[in-house]
Amino acid sequence: MSSVGLIARDEWRALLRNRAGLLASGLLVLLVLVASFTSLERRVAIEADRERYQASVDEQFDQQPDRHPHRMVHYGQFVFRPIAPLAFFDTGVDSYTGNTIFLEGHRQNSANFAEARQSSLLMRFGQLTPAFVLQTLAPLLLIFLGFASISRERERGTLRLMAAQGVAARQVMQGKLLAHGVIALVIGLPAFLVLGGFAATGAASWAAVLPMIGGYAAWLLLWAVLGVILSAVLRRSRDVLAVLIGLWMVGVILLPRALPVAAEARTQLDTNIETEIALHREVAEIGDSHDPDDPYFNDFRQRVLDEYGVESVEDLPVQYAGLVSIEGERLTTGIYADAAERSRAREDAQNALVHDFSLISPLIAIRQLSMTLAGSDLAAHYDFLQQTEAFRYDFVQRLNRMQAELIPGIGGEDPRISAEYWQDIPRFHYQAPSPFDRPSDLIWPAAVLLGWLAALSVLAVWASRRLERNLR
Amino acid sequence: MSPLRAEARLLLRSGRNLFAVILLLMLTSAAVWSGLVQMDAQRATIERVEREQTRDLAAVEAAQAGPKGEAGYNAYYAFMLTQDPPPALAFAAIGQRDLQPFVLRIRALGLEAQRYDSENYNAELALPGVFDWAFVLIYLAPLVIIALTHDMVTAEREAGRLRLLLSLPGSGLWRRRTGLRYALVLAALALPLITGAIIAGAPVAGTFGIMLAAALYCAFWFGLALLIGAALRASATAAAAMIGCWIVPTLVIPTLGNAAIAGAIPAGKGIDLTLAQREVVHKGWDIPKEETFEPFFVNHPEWRGKEEFEGRFHWKWYYAMHQVGDETVAQDVADYRGALTARDKWTSRLGLILPGVGTMNVMHRLADTDSTAGFAYQDSIAAYHERLRKFYYPYMFNDKAFTRADFAQIPRYTSRVPGGSLPAGSLVALLLAAALFLWLGARKVTRVSSARDSRPKDD
Amino acid sequence: MAQGTAEPAIELAGVQHSYGTAPVLRGLDLSVQRGEIYALLGGNGAGKSTTLSALLGFIAPSSGSVRVCGIDPVSDPRGARAQMAYVPENVSLYDHLTARENIAYFLALAGHDTGASVIEPALGAVGLDSQAWDRRMSGFSKGMRQKVAIALALARDVPVLLLDEPTSGLDPRAVLEFNGLLDTARERQVAVLMVTHDLVSAVDIADRIGFLTAGRIEEEQQAGEGARFDLNALHDRYAGTGQAI
Repeated sequence: MSSVGLIARDEWRALLRNRAGLLASGLLVLLVLVASFTSLERRVAIEADRERYQASVDEQFDQQPDRHPHRMVHYGQFVFRPIAPLAFFDTGVDSYTGNTIFLEGHRQNSANFAEARQSSLLMRFGQLTPAFVLQTLAPLLLIFLGFASISRERERGTLRLMAAQGVAARQVMQGKLLAHGVIALVIGLPAFLVLGGFAATGAASWAAVLPMIGGYAAWLLLWAVLGVILSAVLRRSRDVLAVLIGLWMVGVILLPRALPVAAEARTQLDTNIETEIALHREVAEIGDSHDPDDPYFNDFRQRVLDEYGVESVEDLPVQYAGLVSIEGERLTTGIYADAAERSRAREDAQNALVHDFSLISPLIAIRQLSMTLAGSDLAAHYDFLQQTEAFRYDFVQRLNRMQAELIPGIGGEDPRISAEYWQDIPRFHYQAPSPFDRPSDLIWPAAVLLGWLAALSVLAVWASRRLERNLR
Repeated sequence: MSPLRAEARLLLRSGRNLFAVILLLMLTSAAVWSGLVQMDAQRATIERVEREQTRDLAAVEAAQAGPKGEAGYNAYYAFMLTQDPPPALAFAAIGQRDLQPFVLRIRALGLEAQRYDSENYNAELALPGVFDWAFVLIYLAPLVIIALTHDMVTAEREAGRLRLLLSLPGSGLWRRRTGLRYALVLAALALPLITGAIIAGAPVAGTFGIMLAAALYCAFWFGLALLIGAALRASATAAAAMIGCWIVPTLVIPTLGNAAIAGAIPAGKGIDLTLAQREVVHKGWDIPKEETFEPFFVNHPEWRGKEEFEGRFHWKWYYAMHQVGDETVAQDVADYRGALTARDKWTSRLGLILPGVGTMNVMHRLADTDSTAGFAYQDSIAAYHERLRKFYYPYMFNDKAFTRADFAQIPRYTSRVPGGSLPAGSLVALLLAAALFLWLGARKVTRVSSARDSRPKDD
Repeated sequence: MAQGTAEPAIELAGVQHSYGTAPVLRGLDLSVQRGEIYALLGGNGAGKSTTLSALLGFIAPSSGSVRVCGIDPVSDPRGARAQMAYVPENVSLYDHLTARENIAYFLALAGHDTGASVIEPALGAVGLDSQAWDRRMSGFSKGMRQKVAIALALARDVPVLLLDEPTSGLDPRAVLEFNGLLDTARERQVAVLMVTHDLVSAVDIADRIGFLTAGRIEEEQQAGEGARFDLNALHDRYAGTGQAI
């Protein structure tokens, strides 16, 4: 066996004798399994709940009696966001975004009942998912297993002994890197098997699972390599440990929390209240349909009359009020869409600032990669909001059209159309977005992770040269 | 030179220890600054919203109130602002304030369809948790304590100084060393906090309470660090063991606890009640009016006999229908609140065992930024909603015109008085944990001075 | 020597001690007078350091009596330690403090005066170059560290001095300087107990030499001027070979 292989084998043997290390590794594996299991169970329960709710609200919609269509515009539809299959692995922002929206005419309601709002402060310690274990805890385990890898040999004098026997520092470095690289992958293995099993059963696509495994493998390797390099560079084991823990603290705990403060200070979001008030003002500025002298709606009326080739509103074959509703919905929806786009642009600007720091804290990169692939990122939430908004516009306009076209034929003081029409109103069918729709959300974090690994490889070469010099 | 001064010089001349303390001081200062900035931003948001709201209400008043004004229209269009400005101490422990809405507009329609609305926040920024003084205390201060104490005993042994130190006639070596480090850590935590409290005009008692909790929490960590530091022989092992002891109660158990609590206490009633309320309100259009009025009169008997009206629609019936919708789901509302309270209660119980969680509970209760504060805001909204409804009812049931003078009479929401309180139980648990571990640590470190630990390696 | 009738500064009588089931001291008898330098020789595991531990009050012997200036270190460790200065083997003081600051620190811990009038004569007495007094000790050689440790002991101005392997690792010149220091101590009427396995330096400096084997004094010899040793024979019998003899 080559000396690199021998050194790696020696390191594994030493680690196998380290009872605390074995215990910690065992606990981590257990934690990954517990997290997978509870998170999967939770996902199944949420999925079942939301399906049940969706089915029951859809059925209730069908069961509404004969009504004026405008009543149905305000009866509205509830939609529930189905949970992405891989969201069990990484809940991402799912718990922080509302998962149900009430859709009705000329109002854009908020997505409500986010889990985070229904939880105690305990939630802010983190959520038990395999992603949490891999992102936050696994690096710590790798630090503990790796910090003394080379410094221990130096402190015990075995490094000089090896050098005296003709082993080059480069080989020591490679052996330790091999040993800890393999350990990093072994630690990731249970989670990777869970992911693979999930893909094998067809519950998730390999296209999402494989890059996820790749991303986490890179993330874990990064810490193993960093540990070995620092162990070679710093003189004492405890200094290595201190620096590694410091890096973990800053990169994994501190920066992700501190950066949002900077992002929020730089870009502020409007409240929903301000958006709503602004919307009312904008609508009012366009025109007032009740004002007989309003230029915008006079124009609109003229266009309608010309289109139908009649002289007055009374001669229209359709209900003019219904047409005004359609026009009103078109206008408000446009304004809402603008506001939503502005708000999204601001949130994107805030997040972009945080993402830029992934160069310093690769946790941000793996987090983004993982959330995106799991379909629990903010973009997926936005996609849901967009789908619901498009759906809302469609069903409200259908009802408005029913009002315009059907009500004139019914007349009377309390005109209602048949409940059978409710069946013609479409139900919300969520189209899960593909993470690959937004390649930049994947390419950048992947590039950052690989860049870190590449930079660390260069550093490893430098560290082994330095080690060589110090041994001479 | 007194032994204490000598010890202080020794500690502060060590670059590593000085670095750790200064780092903590900087982090704490940054956290206090960040907390103040975030809370100022919330206040600025409230002011911004209030300005917009004033303009909006003026427009509603111009359009709806007047000689021909109808209270029903006015109540429909006049959204009223409620706000929950940050309590003075919120800067130190922001808690759930980044997620829970602190402004909400409501009107006299069904409350249950309005009160759970969310405000706009960036979920990705909220995900890692807030950066405030409480975070620095609960997560980072223990690491600084570990950095300062992990080798207090072992480094002396490793450098061969332990027997020399123990051979000296003085006493109280470990007490002085621990006490000095404790005082430095507390000072690094307290100075920025007190500065922030003065800037924010925070109450003295609350600030003191938070500092007390912090002092106990740090005492717990010092005790644990002494215990481990005196029990293990190598500095690196001691550091690794202490960090292991940090991970389990601050990262692992809380997440397990959260998963267990969320799993054991479902909070689905929120959705149930919203759906049920919608059904009741919309069914009202399709059933005889008496079927709406009768249940309404159960809680509003004063309007019985005034329900008659001409035609198909009257505002009094419309608002009664909304109110009946709310009342029908009262049980669901109570259940929903019950579930959230139960989640909170179990968190408090977990805090009795875990000092980190306990400290978090104590501080956020004192700062009034926890779930209890959120519930209080919700309750104040409900109370205000009732005042608002009852303000409008006489106009509608008596068919009275709604003039500009009446508009001026619309009750306004007054913000609740911040209700920070000291959770004695959690504090006592914290005190016990601190006392127990200090005692265990002190006992262990005193034994360092006796035979076994001073036994030379090779004799 | 004049102090024959005076109470010995160090006295161990019939001291027995064991760590667990392994006996280390088995009836140790030893006494050192003020102004006397006593070298306790023995190999690894002979019980040398345990003897020091018993004197310092780190251990309570299972039987026998220990007295330091008449004080029992078990019942009154602080009182006994106030009479003793102890210089451990291979001690490295605080690297980030200067020699002067280190002495001041330890003196302060001992509740001793820390003024320059105490520290400077002590540093002068051990022959540490005055340029080094205010330098951080991280750059000090082993001999310099040893000097600072002894200066600390001298500065405390106590009647009993315990030295643990004081000459180990010192170069021959440093050993000579060290011997000079002990002469100073003798002149000051200090009782010196040095534990060592370095027979040569023991012969050079000690007034009396005790040979410790398996927890008791096997043989005691007067040293100093006039005394003659068969170094080779003694070396064969005691030095560095431990209890096996």
